[in-house]
Amino acid sequence: MDPSEVEFLAEKEMVKIIPNFSLDKIYLIGGDLGPFNPGLPVDVPVWLALNLKQRQKCRVIPPEWMDVEKLEEMRELERKEEAFTPVPSPYYMELTKLLLNHASDNIPKADEIRTLVKDIWDTRIAKLRLSADSFISQQEAHAKLDNLTLMEINTIRAFFLDSLNCMYKLRSNLQPGSATGQFTDF
Amino acid sequence: MPCERKTMRYGHSEGHTEVCFDDTGKFIVTCGNDGDVRIWENLDDDPKFITVGEKAYSLALKNGKLVTASSNNTVQIHTFPDGDPDGILTRFTTNATHVTFNSSGSRVAAGSSDFMVKVVEMSDSSQQKTLRGHEAPVLSVTFDPKDEFLASSSCDGSVVVWNIEDQTQVISWPLLQKTNDVSNASSLCRLAWQPGAAKLLAVPVESKVHLYERGSWDHVSTLSDDLLTQPLNVVVWSPCGRFLAAGSVGGFLNVWDVNSKLCIERQKHEKGFTVCGLAWSPSGSQIAYTDTEGCLGMLDGLGTPPTDKPAKDYDALFDDDDDGVMDEGLSDGASPVKKAVAADDEEDDDFLMPLTPFARHADTGSLKLGQDKFGDDDDDAGSAVLAAAAPLLPPRPVYEGPLPSAPQKAFQPGSTPAHLTHRFMMWNSVGIVRGYNDEQDNAIDVEFHDSAVHHAMHLTNSLGHALADLSQEAVLLACPSTDELASKLQCLHFSSWDTNKEWMVDLPQGEDARALCLGQGWAAVATSSLMLRLFSVGGVQREMFSLPGPVVCMAGHGEQLLIAYHRATGFDGEQVLGVQLLQLSRRKRQIISGEPLPLSRRSHLSWLGFTAEGTPCYVDSDGVVRMLNRSLGNTWTPVCNTRDTCKSKSDHYWVVGVHENPQQLRCIPCKGSRYPPTLPRPAVAILPFKLPLCQTSTEKGQMEEQFWRSVLFHNHHSFLSSSGYEVDEEARSQSQKEQQELLMKMFALSCKLEREFRCVELAELMTHNVVTLAIRYASRSRRLALAQRLSELALEKASQIQEEEEEEEEEEKRQTAGYSGHRQQEEEEGEEREEEELREEEEQQETEEAAETKPGQFHFVHSSESERSTEAAESSLSVFDVQVLGSGKPSASSGQPRVTNILDSMTAGRKSAALGGSAGKSSKNPVLKPLAPRPKTKTQSTLLQLTGSNKTKKSQESAEPQVPPPAPPAENTENQRPKTGFQLWLEENRKSITAEQPDLEEMDVIKEAMGRFRALSAEERNEKASDECVEKRFKRRDYSSWRFSGEEFKGQISFRGRSAQLKTIHFNKLNPNS
Repeated sequence: MDPSEVEFLAEKEMVKIIPNFSLDKIYLIGGDLGPFNPGLPVDVPVWLALNLKQRQKCRVIPPEWMDVEKLEEMRELERKEEAFTPVPSPYYMELTKLLLNHASDNIPKADEIRTLVKDIWDTRIAKLRLSADSFISQQEAHAKLDNLTLMEINTIRAFFLDSLNCMYKLRSNLQPGSATGQFTDF
Repeated sequence: MPCERKTMRYGHSEGHTEVCFDDTGKFIVTCGNDGDVRIWENLDDDPKFITVGEKAYSLALKNGKLVTASSNNTVQIHTFPDGDPDGILTRFTTNATHVTFNSSGSRVAAGSSDFMVKVVEMSDSSQQKTLRGHEAPVLSVTFDPKDEFLASSSCDGSVVVWNIEDQTQVISWPLLQKTNDVSNASSLCRLAWQPGAAKLLAVPVESKVHLYERGSWDHVSTLSDDLLTQPLNVVVWSPCGRFLAAGSVGGFLNVWDVNSKLCIERQKHEKGFTVCGLAWSPSGSQIAYTDTEGCLGMLDGLGTPPTDKPAKDYDALFDDDDDGVMDEGLSDGASPVKKAVAADDEEDDDFLMPLTPFARHADTGSLKLGQDKFGDDDDDAGSAVLAAAAPLLPPRPVYEGPLPSAPQKAFQPGSTPAHLTHRFMMWNSVGIVRGYNDEQDNAIDVEFHDSAVHHAMHLTNSLGHALADLSQEAVLLACPSTDELASKLQCLHFSSWDTNKEWMVDLPQGEDARALCLGQGWAAVATSSLMLRLFSVGGVQREMFSLPGPVVCMAGHGEQLLIAYHRATGFDGEQVLGVQLLQLSRRKRQIISGEPLPLSRRSHLSWLGFTAEGTPCYVDSDGVVRMLNRSLGNTWTPVCNTRDTCKSKSDHYWVVGVHENPQQLRCIPCKGSRYPPTLPRPAVAILPFKLPLCQTSTEKGQMEEQFWRSVLFHNHHSFLSSSGYEVDEEARSQSQKEQQELLMKMFALSCKLEREFRCVELAELMTHNVVTLAIRYASRSRRLALAQRLSELALEKASQIQEEEEEEEEEEKRQTAGYSGHRQQEEEEGEEREEEELREEEEQQETEEAAETKPGQFHFVHSSESERSTEAAESSLSVFDVQVLGSGKPSASSGQPRVTNILDSMTAGRKSAALGGSAGKSSKNPVLKPLAPRPKTKTQSTLLQLTGSNKTKKSQESAEPQVPPPAPPAENTENQRPKTGFQLWLEENRKSITAEQPDLEEMDVIKEAMGRFRALSAEERNEKASDECVEKRFKRRDYSSWRFSGEEFKGQISFRGRSAQLKTIHFNKLNPNS
């Protein structure tokens, strides 16, 4: 999976905006949106929010978790815990990037938020690497990782699967019965 | 002895302060927490001072030597009065707490916080005796005048008498509370040995003074005073040894005569501070005292030895029950002490004042007064009494009733206070006006919620505008008047189509704009001279009128202007506001003229405005939102309490808009204040409305609340339509539907709860259709009495509807006169009559033709035109159609109940609507066959009494000829006529009915069929109705064939128009299974 695909999926998340135009309810395939009243907050998907924002037709309201204190707490918690802590949103990384790139004027302390989210991301990726490493070194058969987001899984997926496949191939070649050299391709 | 308490002098900084007299009595010497020793000649003098250390804890003075206990843990000597240091007497490991000389001045005793008591020879400071034994810091020490003993008190709760030579404890009394430090002790317990005879040792214990006899060390007596409640700090003997003065925590000073044990003086510190130092002047006539705040005070006039005059009969002047309160002396009857008075130190207020806090009895008991009275010379006593009494009278009566409350200032609703540098000048549903007024610049920012209205504006506020309003057409600003310039009104009319987008007007000299508002095409300004000036949005001055009071705020919407002003001055925090609502349309009128504006108790107005649909509403400072209820005679109904959603007491909601559809209160939550700051940009929250009905937690309460809220919030439909605006019919009908559903639910609930009376009451609120549903519900649940009542109610409703429709019909007749002529021709070939002929027959004439009307067309009924059959046909139809239109969307069920009711009403002999007429016809149908004319006549006469009886006759005549001819055409028309639902059903089930009851006549069969059909569910009927509908569209109506056809007798009524989907004909509403 491509990171851009993950971002595309992330754009389906809902975010609050304040439009400066008036529009009746719109009926889209994915669901109904609106009505849009100038000055009143309304929930829309991120893709629409960004589109409107770029056309200067709305103001984006940052999600509740996009707050300096809350993110600091989360970062501390993440650093303390060995396992993965629950994330504020399953697409926190993507949302942060999207919203801060396009609507940073509507989000207070945007830079700090960027830094904090990056810290959380780094911590989690480090844990993920460690966990993958221990999985391979201890030759575990099962692993269960909670609270991982799609983007994080995506970073490790390709490499992890390929390496496991290679190792399987190598291992199966070591077996006496496999001296014939037959192995299936993955 | 009356003594005078002089005003206190500030001597030292706060803290423990001690005082003593010098040997001559000329000087008063004090030491205090500032480390100074001050020497006073008298109270009015400026003292000299000697610095002895950082702090001075205690001092003693004799023979020109000043001994102080200072903060460097030493006991120092200074010369007096020069104040030169003269060596250190002794040291302790911590500071000394009390130093004292013996009577000769040869020794000094010092007690300290390190539990030691040291007795040091003055001459040779190396000669020291240390008295050990205390287990806690020593509070005080005192020498026996005979130099034998030393008494000391300590924080360990004991009072010990030491034998100085032996350095042993002679006796120890555990009298005091134990504490760990001098500063924590409740009392300093400064004891004193009686000078001279040295027979008694006075020890202050709590609020009493214990006297111990020397030698036996028995507790011989106690001096107390009933008014003393606080612990005594210090006691001193008078030099003569007869009196004992004590000072207490709380500032009370008492002097007792030791022999008589009477308290001869009571004084109180003017501020009630604790007395911690007391000294009796050597002359015995003055007492100096110091308090814990560092002040010095004096009592003068003591010391005259009491003479033994018999107690004057002062009792007569006072109540006898004073005795209990008074001192023992009085009760004894012999109170020598007081006599002294003859010495007329009638010191008045100084010593009387402290007594005023005492109860009157206490006052009378108090010696000051008593003494005055006791004097034998009455005049003196009398005048003294008077003089004494006078200050005791309460001062001039003070008004204690309600006080007027400050009237709230004029403000713009939706603005933050004017004193802020960055503020919102207006926030409403159109946009936001912000004002910036700091030192650098004065600017106004206008921003619109909907950028399509106008782009954002930034203006420099050179004129200092303080008031603003914003609408879809313009921005209105006003500034107060200055010395040179008058108050101005500026309007930025951005929606103007000409090139001039702005105008400004000066208000007359002396008038200031206090409030302003914009409406549709007009602007209003309320000024300080109680005028309201109207302007058009283009700048033309319009009407003006005087306001009954100073304006508080104004709001405009469309053609309406709402003004809140002060009707009067309120009391106790209440605001008395009045409200005026004016309609500035073509026909200008005052809808609410100066009625009181109901506010919550002790609250003021915080927002006034209109809902988006034009209903006035306002919010008070208690967070209650009230809306005008036009349907209840323009009363104000509370619809929301924003404080319910507030988490903390200091959170408030700042209202920016109210909407009825959808029901939203738009406001900004503010933490810790009533209004939001400009930055960060506040987020608008939406609160729901809730009427504060009772028990809204129960189902009943909830439904009631929803119902009345729905009614209240849809009032605007009727208002808008009456003002000539377009009404969203769908919304209106939606709301009605909602309301009727709620009523039905409440009805069902009440039924379940066996509250049938309530059911009927609820039914009165229902529309006709819903009443039928209710009837059905009731009958299905076997509540026949209820069903009966409901049916009566339904009849009444039906008649009401009919009356209304007749009125409408009259109007429409006039309107569409020409139309009927046209129709007439079309209907020439109408054959049969339709059911409505019942009505038309009543009116009159031939109804052969089956008039054909397309659903929804108007036809008139006019009695004068009734000659024409078509007219007649039309008339009935038209009435019916009118009815149809009048009821909005006709539905299958709507037709049914009418028919039902009419049928029933026929039997009851009442008038009914056209539909009812049709129903009547149907009932006639079975009757018609055998007895055609007579029943008709009957029904005709009972039913429509609109037209005269001649019509009746005519109909009769026409009826007869009708019988034969319709037969053949019946066939045709029957085929052509669309079948009604009932008809269809009847066809289907006729067989079953006849099978069951084969001996029924056709009529009865029909009856039976009707009964059964009625018992069917509504859906089935609707089904039939839809079938019928389809047929109807494509066929001409055939209304009479059924009546006359033999086999084809179908007891249904087919109607023209949509509502002709009536399926059932109920002969007897009360018998569902008839």
